[in-house]
Amino acid sequence: MIAFLGGALASFGFFFLPVIEIKPNRLASGLPVGLLEIPGDLRYLLLFLLALTPVMLAFMSDRNRRGWALVTVGNLIIILTLYLPALAGNAYLIGAEALFEAGTRISNPRILSSAAIAVGLAGGGIVLFAGLLDLERSGASRLVRGLAGAVGALVVVLMLAGGTLDVYSIMVEYHSRGETLALRFLEHIVFVLVALVAGLIVGIALGLWASRDAKAEDAILYTVGIIQTIPSLALFGILLVPLARLGDSHFLSMARDWLLLAAIALAAALVLRRLHARLPERARQFALIAVFILALIPLSLLAVLIIAFGFEVVLTVLTTAELASMRSVTFLALVLFPVFVWAGKRFDLERMLPHFQRVHFLPLLVAVLGALILLAQGAGKLLGNSELAELTIRDFGVSGIGTAPAIIALTLYSLLPLVRNTYAGLKNIDPAIIDSGKGMGFTAAQSFFRIELPLAFPVIMAGVRNAAISLVGIAAVASIIGAGALGDFILLGVNSTSIDQILLGAVPAVLLAVIMDAGLKLLEGLLTSPGIRQA
Amino acid sequence: MIEFKDVIKEYPNGFRAVDNLNLTVHDGEICVLIGPSGCGKTTALRMVNRLIDVTRGEILIDGQPNDEFEPEILRRQIGYAIQQIGLLPHMTIRDNVAIVPRLLDWDEDRIRQRVDLLLDMVGIDPSIHGDKYPRQLSGGQQQRVGVARALGADPPLMLMDEPFGAVDPITRAILQEEFLQIQQEVSKTIIFVTHDIDEAIYMGDRIALLRAGRLVQYDSPDDLLAKPRDDFVREFVGADRSLKRLHLISVKDSMINNVPRCAQGASLDELAQCMDEHRANNVFIIDENSGKLLGWAERSAVESGAAPEEVINYAPTSIAVAEDATAREALSVLLSHSFDLTPVIDANGILTGGVSIQRLQDLVEAPGIHAAAQRERGQ
Ligand SMILES: Nc1ncnc2c1ncn2[C@@H]1O[C@H](COP(=O)(O)OP(=O)(O)O)[C@@H](O)[C@H]1O
Ligand SMILES: [Mg+2]
Repeated sequence: MIAFLGGALASFGFFFLPVIEIKPNRLASGLPVGLLEIPGDLRYLLLFLLALTPVMLAFMSDRNRRGWALVTVGNLIIILTLYLPALAGNAYLIGAEALFEAGTRISNPRILSSAAIAVGLAGGGIVLFAGLLDLERSGASRLVRGLAGAVGALVVVLMLAGGTLDVYSIMVEYHSRGETLALRFLEHIVFVLVALVAGLIVGIALGLWASRDAKAEDAILYTVGIIQTIPSLALFGILLVPLARLGDSHFLSMARDWLLLAAIALAAALVLRRLHARLPERARQFALIAVFILALIPLSLLAVLIIAFGFEVVLTVLTTAELASMRSVTFLALVLFPVFVWAGKRFDLERMLPHFQRVHFLPLLVAVLGALILLAQGAGKLLGNSELAELTIRDFGVSGIGTAPAIIALTLYSLLPLVRNTYAGLKNIDPAIIDSGKGMGFTAAQSFFRIELPLAFPVIMAGVRNAAISLVGIAAVASIIGAGALGDFILLGVNSTSIDQILLGAVPAVLLAVIMDAGLKLLEGLLTSPGIRQA
Repeated sequence: MIEFKDVIKEYPNGFRAVDNLNLTVHDGEICVLIGPSGCGKTTALRMVNRLIDVTRGEILIDGQPNDEFEPEILRRQIGYAIQQIGLLPHMTIRDNVAIVPRLLDWDEDRIRQRVDLLLDMVGIDPSIHGDKYPRQLSGGQQQRVGVARALGADPPLMLMDEPFGAVDPITRAILQEEFLQIQQEVSKTIIFVTHDIDEAIYMGDRIALLRAGRLVQYDSPDDLLAKPRDDFVREFVGADRSLKRLHLISVKDSMINNVPRCAQGASLDELAQCMDEHRANNVFIIDENSGKLLGWAERSAVESGAAPEEVINYAPTSIAVAEDATAREALSVLLSHSFDLTPVIDANGILTGGVSIQRLQDLVEAPGIHAAAQRERGQ
């Protein structure tokens, strides 16, 4: 029945809708051509007839044979839907001068895929899917089904690589801007990954905190919820002003300001601790949230610095020609490896966790970091290093436009699904399981890493996938503040009403989202214990 | 040995869940904490391994206050089993049982051996179920694994909070019996929480009855039934406490040897004379050589003058109880026949004695003479 729908859809498309538009250049509007209008060659009719066959095949009774027939037809529809119009398009373009009015500028002529191609691909996909469903029911193995399903996509990839489809406008665009595309794509990936990792660290910490501390629970969940409701464009804009000022300040003055803020937060925390017991319930809640926000300011400033700095490093390593060479990567790895090992040993997470679980860790952290900055400042003075004093935060990659606000905004956006899912995952664990673990002698950290995290893992991963996919989308908006990434193409395309450019940005973004989702799902499957996997 | 010394627990809201508890649990004993819901059993139990802090007083383990240990170190040396079992669902059965040994850094070979031994002990075949996950086992099997896990690192002490509370009555009875057998072998010092008086009587060497955080009575099961301290205890153990006591006494302890019996082939006169001697209304017929119980004869039949062969009813086993049965079973047989006493036979079917209603009455009324009976029953 599904196959029937797919076949009907595809043949309807080929019959009624234009397959391609022929365009003389990027900007001019094109001439629409339908499948049955393509003159001279009967093979185009073949596609139409092919699309009709599933309508008949749908009534076959032998499941296995019907499955294979549908898979074959589905794959063929997909391949031919892309291939035949390209062939026809090529023929048109050879005689392009004759097609258009005299005086039309012809540069990089191309064919724009039109509605029928989309409908044809969808129809072919549905037929293929129906076939795979039949095969699954008749007991074909996973591998066989995977291969059967991938044949069409594989041929399309081969055709793409071999240049057969170069006549499509998106490919023309790709060929003229391929190198920037690669860079923007890379930027996009790095954006999403950096924000995801930063969001993961902050999100899991906040989720853990919310699940442990009834007092902070509402404040945390409410805050991340509110962040999510700010339109992305507005959030980028909001970050513009403070970050621009931040970027212009000198390192030393910045350090001074930061210390001041930290001291205020620390003092407030200490005062609250003193008064805590004496305050009425309401006021206690209020004071707690106030101190929380006060402490958050210096902390998030520091996070901005670290994340932006880390991003600069990552992007430099990935995009600089010298660094990309095999030798320097190896060198880098050799240098970094012992550092990571050392850091891993030094900061035994399991042992550190109990401290993080206390609310008091905030002021403590603020104090420690303040001391560190003071030290750095003192060292700079001692060494008579005036460069340190001249340093602005912009040297660390922080400014109102560009990567810093993009990364920060993306990190903030990733928080809601991450915090919410971590919180829900941890809260939903049967308390008896945690109690029995505690009763057997697990320490708090062991309980977290060996019981709670593994049990909450599938739920957290669902949040990660959710965050990753939405980040791919929001990262495209980031180019508005000059951050780069795939949004550049989309913006350009919108400005010049060039659908090719929009597609050039959008298609890789969609692919990226699909691939990340599949990859994370695979990871989730591999790392989830069979004892808690959904059947 | 575990000692509660003037232990008080006040929750932060001011509620006093345990009030001045003094209690000593001796080595190798099962001490059952029982009482109505909310009386502080769980609170008392969880203070031993410091899952809950004591407000005042102290708890000594082998003479040492339990707050002298790091909580985690202490807990690894005390077995812990709870009603909800709390098996870790993401770990296999083997890994679950291996948790405490792993926390104690045993080497893997030793852990493997220990785990398989324990699973065998609780009746779970490690080669079939060892690599399964908890959700693949039935409730009863999970409870067994929970017990095996509590025994994991061979701790001298065990805390069990309604460990068999979540299974059906039949499975529970089986688990109770099996656990007593295991206890025979391992002889742990156990605090066992339950709200089921029958379980307490069956499992406990001593029973501590709590009410609103206070210890009302701490006695052997038999003494608790025989000498309830006040109306609360009397009501809690139930109106059928006499029957329950009979459950604690074995036939062997309650039977008399003086039973009217005649060899097969005795004359009617001999039968009548035997009954007269015992002032009984029936006489049991045994095999002359082996002494096996064969049947019985009624006074009315004997006096009717029928042939000797016709007055004897042959049905040796259904009218008798075994020596290792409880007095309660003897009573049950007694009630279903109109005998003066229930004949008792040994493993070979030989008539060794009898239990009369008079005798049972004496036993139930005599306070605590058979405190030791329950111990013997277990052996
Ligand atoms: N964390 C707590 N705060 C306040 N009261 C508690 C707390 N935990 C238990 N209680 C109260 O203490 C009493 C004893 O609880 P518990 O020891 O669990 O009883 P039980 O005998 O049923 O095991 C109950 O009335 C219970 O409501
Ligand atoms: Mg309880």
